[in-house]
Amino acid sequence: MCDVATVKKIANCLGVSPGQVKLNDEQVVTRISKNKSVNGFASILETLALESTSETALNSKSSREVEAQVYQWIEFAVLYVAPGSKDKYVAKQLLADFNRLFINKSYLVGHFITLADLAVYYAIYNLVKCLTPVEKESYLNLSRWFDHLQQRPEVNQGEPLLNFTTIYLHGWATGTHI
Amino acid sequence: MIIYTNEGNPLGLQLQILAKFAKREVQVQLVNLNDSKYKHLLVLPTLELDNGLQLFSTAAIAKYLLADEGQQRDEWLEWSTTLLAPALAHHMGVGHKADPNALPVLNGLVKKLDDHLKSSPYLAGDKITSADLAVWSLLAPDGTLKGAQNVDHLRDWYGRLKVLPEVQQVLQQQPLKDLSFNALQQSNRYGGLHHITLKRPSLVDAGKLLAETGNTLADTITDEEIEAARTAFTYVEPKKLLEPRTVLPKAGERNVLITSALPYVNNVPHLGNIIGCVLSADIFARYSRSAGYNTLLICGTDEYGTATENKALAENLTPREICDKYFELHNAIYRWFGIGFDYFGRTTHQEQTEIVQEAFKDVHSAGYIITESVEQLLCQKCDRFLADRFVEGTCPHPGCGYEDARGDQCDKCGKLVNATELIRPRCKVCNSAPVLRSSDQLFIDLPKAEPKLREWVDKADNGWTHNARVITRAWLREGLKPRCITRDLKWGIPVPHAGFEKKVFYVWFDAPFGYVSMTKRYTKDYQQWWQPAKGTDVELFQFMAKDNVPFHSVVWPSVLLAINKGHTLVSHIMATEYLNYEDGKFSKSRGIGVFGNDAQETGIPADVWRFYLASARPEGQDSSFSWNDLAARNNSELLNNLGNFVNRALVFCEKNFNSLVPEVVLTQDELILLALINRELRGYINSLEKAKLRDGIRHLLAISRHGNGYMQTQQPWVLLKGDETQKKRAATIIGLSANIACLLANLLFPYMPSTARTLFDQLNSKQTTLNASKPLATLLLPAGHKIGKPAPLFAKLEQAFIDELKGKYGGVQAQTESAKSDQLSVADLEQAIQAQGNKVRELKASTKDKSVWQPEVNKLLELKKQLEAAQKAAPSAVQAPTKSGTPSVQDLEKAVQAQGEKVRQLKSSTKDKSVWQPEVNVLLDLKKQLEAAQKTASAAPVPAASAPATPNGEQVKALENKIAQQGEKVRTLKASGDATVWKPEVEILLSLKKELATLTGVPAAAPAQGKSKKKK
Repeated sequence: MCDVATVKKIANCLGVSPGQVKLNDEQVVTRISKNKSVNGFASILETLALESTSETALNSKSSREVEAQVYQWIEFAVLYVAPGSKDKYVAKQLLADFNRLFINKSYLVGHFITLADLAVYYAIYNLVKCLTPVEKESYLNLSRWFDHLQQRPEVNQGEPLLNFTTIYLHGWATGTHI
Repeated sequence: MIIYTNEGNPLGLQLQILAKFAKREVQVQLVNLNDSKYKHLLVLPTLELDNGLQLFSTAAIAKYLLADEGQQRDEWLEWSTTLLAPALAHHMGVGHKADPNALPVLNGLVKKLDDHLKSSPYLAGDKITSADLAVWSLLAPDGTLKGAQNVDHLRDWYGRLKVLPEVQQVLQQQPLKDLSFNALQQSNRYGGLHHITLKRPSLVDAGKLLAETGNTLADTITDEEIEAARTAFTYVEPKKLLEPRTVLPKAGERNVLITSALPYVNNVPHLGNIIGCVLSADIFARYSRSAGYNTLLICGTDEYGTATENKALAENLTPREICDKYFELHNAIYRWFGIGFDYFGRTTHQEQTEIVQEAFKDVHSAGYIITESVEQLLCQKCDRFLADRFVEGTCPHPGCGYEDARGDQCDKCGKLVNATELIRPRCKVCNSAPVLRSSDQLFIDLPKAEPKLREWVDKADNGWTHNARVITRAWLREGLKPRCITRDLKWGIPVPHAGFEKKVFYVWFDAPFGYVSMTKRYTKDYQQWWQPAKGTDVELFQFMAKDNVPFHSVVWPSVLLAINKGHTLVSHIMATEYLNYEDGKFSKSRGIGVFGNDAQETGIPADVWRFYLASARPEGQDSSFSWNDLAARNNSELLNNLGNFVNRALVFCEKNFNSLVPEVVLTQDELILLALINRELRGYINSLEKAKLRDGIRHLLAISRHGNGYMQTQQPWVLLKGDETQKKRAATIIGLSANIACLLANLLFPYMPSTARTLFDQLNSKQTTLNASKPLATLLLPAGHKIGKPAPLFAKLEQAFIDELKGKYGGVQAQTESAKSDQLSVADLEQAIQAQGNKVRELKASTKDKSVWQPEVNKLLELKKQLEAAQKAAPSAVQAPTKSGTPSVQDLEKAVQAQGEKVRQLKSSTKDKSVWQPEVNVLLDLKKQLEAAQKTASAAPVPAASAPATPNGEQVKALENKIAQQGEKVRTLKASGDATVWKPEVEILLSLKKELATLTGVPAAAPAQGKSKKKK
């Protein structure tokens, strides 16, 4: 999950060349760019942010406090969101936790988009994709955050938009899946 | 600053050390995440800064508190939280969280540290950084490096950090012994770090570095446990296990009556059937006997019913001859598996007839029988009433509409079906539509028995497995309905009721009484088991797969409650889930899976099968049989763990002590080992008392793992070469190990009886009673006991051999693993799609949890995309014509044939329309092209080589038009579904095509065949 594909996506987001991204001997994601190699998802994201001049990157390093928080959410995405999405119970807890977090926030850190949002967005993408409209509605705050992010073309990167409409017809169209 | 952490959390130590280095004052506060006051905390430890900001990532905190120390430090910090910490947490997991893969992974990580520290004094260069502190504080709790070998650089570095004044100050406030990675389970609401799959490094095995667990576990032993172990470990004259010739229940003792669901005589049982009932029942019965309970294990074949009658017709034998033949087959298979029934009977014995007829009279006189006229399906072509299983049709339940629902149950929605309610019923034998006729049948009035049943279920279902409870509750929620108990058949027990002389009992009325009648065959005092006198308690354990639950939890108890003569009712329903074969289903017809007789042919000993099946028993959820798993368990658990320990103990005793068990003088090490063993022993007893056979095996293997660890650390082979006191020490170690081997033989007996017997022979000992109320290890072999000749108990299963077996019994499923690489041929991709499609369907059927199956669906879609791309890229026979402009008729015909073949294969392998529809479309498209090409070909002169005679253009054209029309007709008819309607039209179409073929000299591709074959 927090692997090669995600690193490339985030590099695109930040308008930085992803360089060569692969898994090393320890099965840890590695980026080689300009003859420098960096190991580890969070460390790679930090170097990407250093190279980038995008809004997201600048936001992410606006203060030491922000940096620390951004880092912890990236780590949270790696340790909990990505592997936890595969476990039914952990996944439920994660959704509930994020929903609670977004009660009074629009972004994970501060009042602006940061790498923290991107890391969690891509890590939680498949989980959110699998939610039924009713479930999406029960995680309303999380859905709002997610829908808001996916409207950004640099985040969405051409994927079809997930449906967050709350007028659901599926109740009587039982035979249809997404 | 405040550190919020939970008790024992090792990461709390890290934060304290970091704060100390950053010269900040911290205050530690122990909290519980369940406390509503702290519900805003996600992960512990969380550090609250003086400005109120809360951070829960130790790495983020390290970077925040200590200034930038370079990229290398950052990488190590990330490494420690994302790789090292999860590996340590897995390593410390116990019970079902124990992870045998954790140690090799951890060894790899430790090796990396050691290698790095070889060339660098600290992790990120010449100076101590927060990375050193982070890694050190992960390794310190649980004493991870205790007993590790070949990690001198790491040890040196560890020592240098440990003596730092900052570290020492923190350790004074926070002693290491209070910390363990186990505490991480309470550090968040995601169950700790166990949901993280450890990354297996692709590098070669790091070898043995860290000591096996044991050292750390030993610290958790309490003084009471040590004392209990010391007092229990004495020699008492063992109670011989005496088994009376006929086991009968006794007042004041524990009496255990065990039944295994009666296997239907016509089916060759597969491994799933075997572990589902007979083997589980046998293991439990063996345990129950060795615990000293009065135990009776009863089973037999279920022989009456239409299926037998039909099989007899097919094989041109009488039903009885069929039963005799198959009974022997069953009997032989179970005997080979070492199933020790007290009686293995048949439902066709005279006793069965008597008992069932008497039971019927009792139920009738109690007023629970109703007579009703029933509309039944009569197949006029076969001239007989169709039993439920011989009718198929569309499921009548709203929202299901499954086309191949059986007359008694729909395989798709799982609901029971009344054969007459099927939409568009058809006879399974001749496929013609049956007609309704009415005849009188007897019903058992379940609604009348319902109040009594509910009352009983409420009391009894505590001892049932979860699935049994759920299924029963679901039945009761829907409300019971009268159930027909008679059938218009010959092969069955005659109904002793006026006007019903020509009818027999439905198997579901008679089969459960088989348990009683088979007990009667075993002893004339069978009523002591089934209708025990007051004061004698009989516990009835019934083993079965979950599909049999309703008949054991609802139908039969209702009958017995209606009779009201104090019958023993089931106290423990032990229902298993399903066992899959290498992630697919067992299928006799497709040759997939291992059946009872195959197991024997493999040459793998029956005991190994028993062991493997018990350890893969589908308790709680479906499980899979896998050849690799079988080999792995045999090689790692039986051979390397259990066999290795037992053999080493005995060989040392034979070689160094002249086969005489030396005296055991207990020191602290031995007492700790015994205390650990007693823990596992208690676990073993607790599991088996509840018939949790899988857990029992785990505890058993843990005991021999402790034994191995003990030998490895004590190294008696070194001591034997030492001075007198060292030799004495070695004697104790060998003496204790031999005793543990003897304990293991006793524990192993229920699972692997003949292996246990061999081991008892090698020990020159006998089986002793397990003391279930006080499970503590005792001295089984006193000093001076002479043992027999040790020999290896298990043999290695080589990978080549396993691969061979996998191919032999794998059907088509074995080849699905090739789906990984990027460049795949079209054929490979198609196979992968098929396999993935199957997987998705199974997943969807087994769970409604979208998050589980959605990823697999995504994979399937991805594969389909790849296939599309591959088909475009590699012009196959199918696609060639569209590329080369105007293809010849011959080419097209070939393509049509190839595509037709493909469609047929796809259709026969799957019912998923979405899989084959695209191919059908391709086929139709090709046919259109062919038609067009043939038209132009017939207009233009045909090359002499391609057709021997020039066909009459006009005629061909006319025929082709007709065929096209007829084809259209067939297609629309087929869409409506009823085979009887469209079949004749297909015939016409085929004859037209033949006509065309004779005219053009080209054989007609016949796609219609595929379709008619699809329905079995």
